[in-house]
Amino acid sequence: MKEEDSKVESSHQLILYIEKDDQTYGPVQTGSYMVKNYLDDFFAKKARLQTIRLEELKAGKISPLAYYKDLVEIGEGDLACRVGISRRKLRFQMTPKGFSRTSVALLERYATVFGIPVAQLFQVILCEEEGLAIHNEQTALPSVIISRISVRDRQASELRT
Amino acid sequence: MIAFTHKMAAHCESGAVTAQLNHAGLAISEPMVFGISGGLFFGYFKLPTLDFPTFVLRNQPGKIRTAVQKRLGVQISCQKNRTPDKAMAALDSLLDQGIPVAVQVDFFYMQYLPAYARAHFNAHFVNVIGKDGADYLISDVYYPKIARLDERTLKIARSVKGPFAPAGFQFHVTGVKPDVDMQSAIKAGIKQTCFYMLRVPLPFMGIRGIRYFGDKVTSWPKLCRNTDHLSHEIMMIHVILEDRGTGGGGFRYLYASFLKEAGTLLGNKSLEALAKEMMANGDEWRQISLFVARIGKERDLGPVRLQELKCMIHQRAHVEKDIFERLSETAKKL
Repeated sequence: MKEEDSKVESSHQLILYIEKDDQTYGPVQTGSYMVKNYLDDFFAKKARLQTIRLEELKAGKISPLAYYKDLVEIGEGDLACRVGISRRKLRFQMTPKGFSRTSVALLERYATVFGIPVAQLFQVILCEEEGLAIHNEQTALPSVIISRISVRDRQASELRT
Repeated sequence: MIAFTHKMAAHCESGAVTAQLNHAGLAISEPMVFGISGGLFFGYFKLPTLDFPTFVLRNQPGKIRTAVQKRLGVQISCQKNRTPDKAMAALDSLLDQGIPVAVQVDFFYMQYLPAYARAHFNAHFVNVIGKDGADYLISDVYYPKIARLDERTLKIARSVKGPFAPAGFQFHVTGVKPDVDMQSAIKAGIKQTCFYMLRVPLPFMGIRGIRYFGDKVTSWPKLCRNTDHLSHEIMMIHVILEDRGTGGGGFRYLYASFLKEAGTLLGNKSLEALAKEMMANGDEWRQISLFVARIGKERDLGPVRLQELKCMIHQRAHVEKDIFERLSETAKKL
């Protein structure tokens, strides 16, 4: 790839190895082509999947574990391994009945894998308006967090609480 | 903060190892580290831990470090730590001595990177180069500047379970040889790559693995729940080839740079010519990346388009077989 073909304007930076004008090969820092051109499509697909899973959650067809598993895009086997249980047990806990029998300690392990506070396994927070931000603050008790909802000032780009 | 030169690199393990070697006084490039360690590979896998098949483009995580250690005579001190607290204590002990430490982490927890780019992958490598209050200072080759990660998050990232679990693994370079036999190291690295691409007797690895991938991709619609899902998995081909730390073209550009540098170093015109072919091969892999991104976005994912994709991939297998066979012959004469 020639250096002039590698230039992509994107906030997501990476290194490509290219052929320079002097015919040597070397690294160039540039933007991600995928992020620049297709990130909106990725988010749109994710939003549609989230809508489908949320409807299934509300209808009592799946548990929050199944909901977050698909949002985080982690495989069943990988998730079971990370929380230290069998796949069979995981599949049971992805049902509402199984979820209701899951211990808090195990739910904390799931929450760590999903990258969310354990409280979010019992609550889905949806932002109805644009420009809202949720900031979670850890406390000394690992399973308890403080959530602050703020409005971003679009004009000044400041965070106003 | 330790005086450590941070810069972005194509790939996490080769980038982290190169940074460690440079810090220890060995002037070596990332392509050379990657090539000497026989980093280039291909494998198509359907694993129990994954819900969908995937393909890999480099050798097993950890092999870049061990190959460099062996072929360059570099002394590397490695530690695995039984508990998360012991792992953090071992890290702090070295940082207190002014030693930058490469640690293995789960990529998902690198919170300085955007959430859409992060997935659970336990074999990411970063250099920890200091501590500032409750935060660790991280030199991650995927991030343009020095990052910060709080202690709790780093501890979690180092102690997760799952495939290639980090188990608190860390390493740092303790010594480099002043006179390294680069010719032998280059030869060994090329021979290893050629073996894995040409002679591994498994249908899903090497050149055969590339063809296998081409065959399998036409049956991906059966594995998907709907068009959105198929579109996502097809577009992931682009992400794996270009965005997940390959240097572009599925590591082929990085490998071409290695061949070019090796050819110049050894005065070998054959290696330089093969470098040019490998760079062109990387361009064709990039054409596949652009193709899958387009058909995925347009939802143009019918049998005709997937058959076209299969043919493009098979053509890569055909070209790479020829390149690696001639590279293997060239390596024998080094």
